Amino acid sequence: MNEFVERRLTLRWQQAKRAYDVVIVGGGGHGLATAYYLAARHGITNVAVVEAGYIGAGNSGRNTTIIRANYGIPEAVRFYQHSLELYQTLEDELDCWMMYTTKGIIWLAHTETAMRAERARSLLNLACGAETVMLTPQEVKALCPQLDLSGGGRYPVLGASYHPAAATARHDRVVWAYAQGAMRLGVHVLQHTRVTGLLRDGARVTGVETSAGPISAGQVLSAVGGNVSTLAAYADVRLPIRTHPLQAFVTNDYEQAFQPILSDTELLCYVSQTERGQMLIGAEFDAQPSYSLKSSFSFLQSSAAKAMHLLPFLRNLRVLRQWTGICDISADFSPILGETGVEGFLVTTGWGTWGFKAIPAGGELMAELIASGRTPPLLEPFRLDRFASDQTMADPGSTGTH
Amino acid sequence: MPALETLPGLRIVASPEALDAAPWSAGTVVLRFAPDDAFAIGATAVDIADDHAIVAEESGFVGRWLTREELDDRLVTHIEWPLPTALPALAQGLIAGVPAKLWLTTDRVLLLCAAAYAAELADRLG
Amino acid sequence: MLWIPCPTCGRRPVEEYRFGGELRGVPDRITDPIERDVDYVWMFDNVAGVTTERWFHQAGCRRWLTVRRDTTTDTVLG
Repeated sequence: MNEFVERRLTLRWQQAKRAYDVVIVGGGGHGLATAYYLAARHGITNVAVVEAGYIGAGNSGRNTTIIRANYGIPEAVRFYQHSLELYQTLEDELDCWMMYTTKGIIWLAHTETAMRAERARSLLNLACGAETVMLTPQEVKALCPQLDLSGGGRYPVLGASYHPAAATARHDRVVWAYAQGAMRLGVHVLQHTRVTGLLRDGARVTGVETSAGPISAGQVLSAVGGNVSTLAAYADVRLPIRTHPLQAFVTNDYEQAFQPILSDTELLCYVSQTERGQMLIGAEFDAQPSYSLKSSFSFLQSSAAKAMHLLPFLRNLRVLRQWTGICDISADFSPILGETGVEGFLVTTGWGTWGFKAIPAGGELMAELIASGRTPPLLEPFRLDRFASDQTMADPGSTGTH
Repeated sequence: MPALETLPGLRIVASPEALDAAPWSAGTVVLRFAPDDAFAIGATAVDIADDHAIVAEESGFVGRWLTREELDDRLVTHIEWPLPTALPALAQGLIAGVPAKLWLTTDRVLLLCAAAYAAELADRLG
Repeated sequence: MLWIPCPTCGRRPVEEYRFGGELRGVPDRITDPIERDVDYVWMFDNVAGVTTERWFHQAGCRRWLTVRRDTTTDTVLG
């Protein structure tokens, strides 16, 4: 049991019942948010969130906490803009400080091709309700004085797109706030309860088999990160998902303020400063699927080299900590939410390296789907059956980024 | 590191048996990149017993001969993998992060790489 | 770190290779021909455990090889 969680929040842990209306597998942001919105918006409180470890132990506690809506296809921009707007009022709604800080994200371009891509992204974002504008190199320098506009001589900055609403929040606090909100309304959160199978009645899923015994459920939602293929296989559901490790690292404190989030598609890396002053650096996910949480030196070496092209001051900092999360990446780099074709079994998955920013909208819309049985319009494009009907959604705004 | 220079030769893609049996003139260095793929440095013609063999002039590699001491002093710190001990031997892989090859003999070593990577390799080796 | 043995070049770090995907078949229980096509094109076994996959030794002999890997420990077997 995580002592820090229990001292700082009023989380009311309950004994497991034998049956619930809804069982959500996975006590991360998406699972807990769905539970909260089921109770708060739809009055469905006979809900259990079943978590193998402690809440937020998976990717909710391992991500780089960037919240933004400047994606590359209209369906995604609308969805993430909705999520960003929910985040902006979330501290009030859940009455909990999450260290939500608006920072703005600068997306650098080093070639004319990249400039065209960023211009197209800006216009698409504007058309879909997410403010993104183009910046000249001088405007970039004004927002981020530490940036070397020559990119170490190899990656000159020709310009950038700028999404001013981009923000960060404290990931653990988001998880705990949703858990607290859900538990106050009567939701059971069962930690250290591993799901080992699904209860079936014919094809239908009727509950979960857990390390603490069977629990039956009207509907089961998989909100797991990293093991969704295994869980779905219990229901004979096949998913277009591969699970890849994603690594990140932080340095020791940088004594100046580093205001924006800096991102770079060509170098495939991104940099921001944590509330503690540490520089947080992330890059693309590992090429081969794996469930291992081992970090690698080659990742550290290559992403540090990339980031130092842009921000020479990083040379003087030391690497404090490096870690790995395992991300479910879908075949078209867009998430998969909703029905699976098996009655009683739903998924929210494919959150790859972009799940944290989607927690409020993913939770709210999945709750609406579970409560009403109808897919909300914002979720419609993200259905699993898009793969069978050739309506996949390759998103250049999410590929290999955060 | 002095410049790497073009290594003219013949590139042969053929069945492994035909490559094993090829009659090279004495002293020709033949690098077997793969069982079915060989690079014969300095060669201009060869008789290959494979009707489907591809034999082409190869000018895409650059290289330089080093002493064993230069190998130990300059290169070994840039190589993550173990070098072969039974000589002569071809070793291929990343050297200073650049795809490169070594032809190792008891008294000297040929460092070579694709011409496109030559500047980067020389730069990284310093 | 993951090391992969290449039959031509020897044991090498993963950075020398390009991942070529898992070797998989369509499950027998899927019988509809269109569903089999969809599964073949889009779905992955994504096994948490031992999987058989293709790798390309990009920085070495530039040949494909088949590798059995345990994805829970990220190590190559035998």
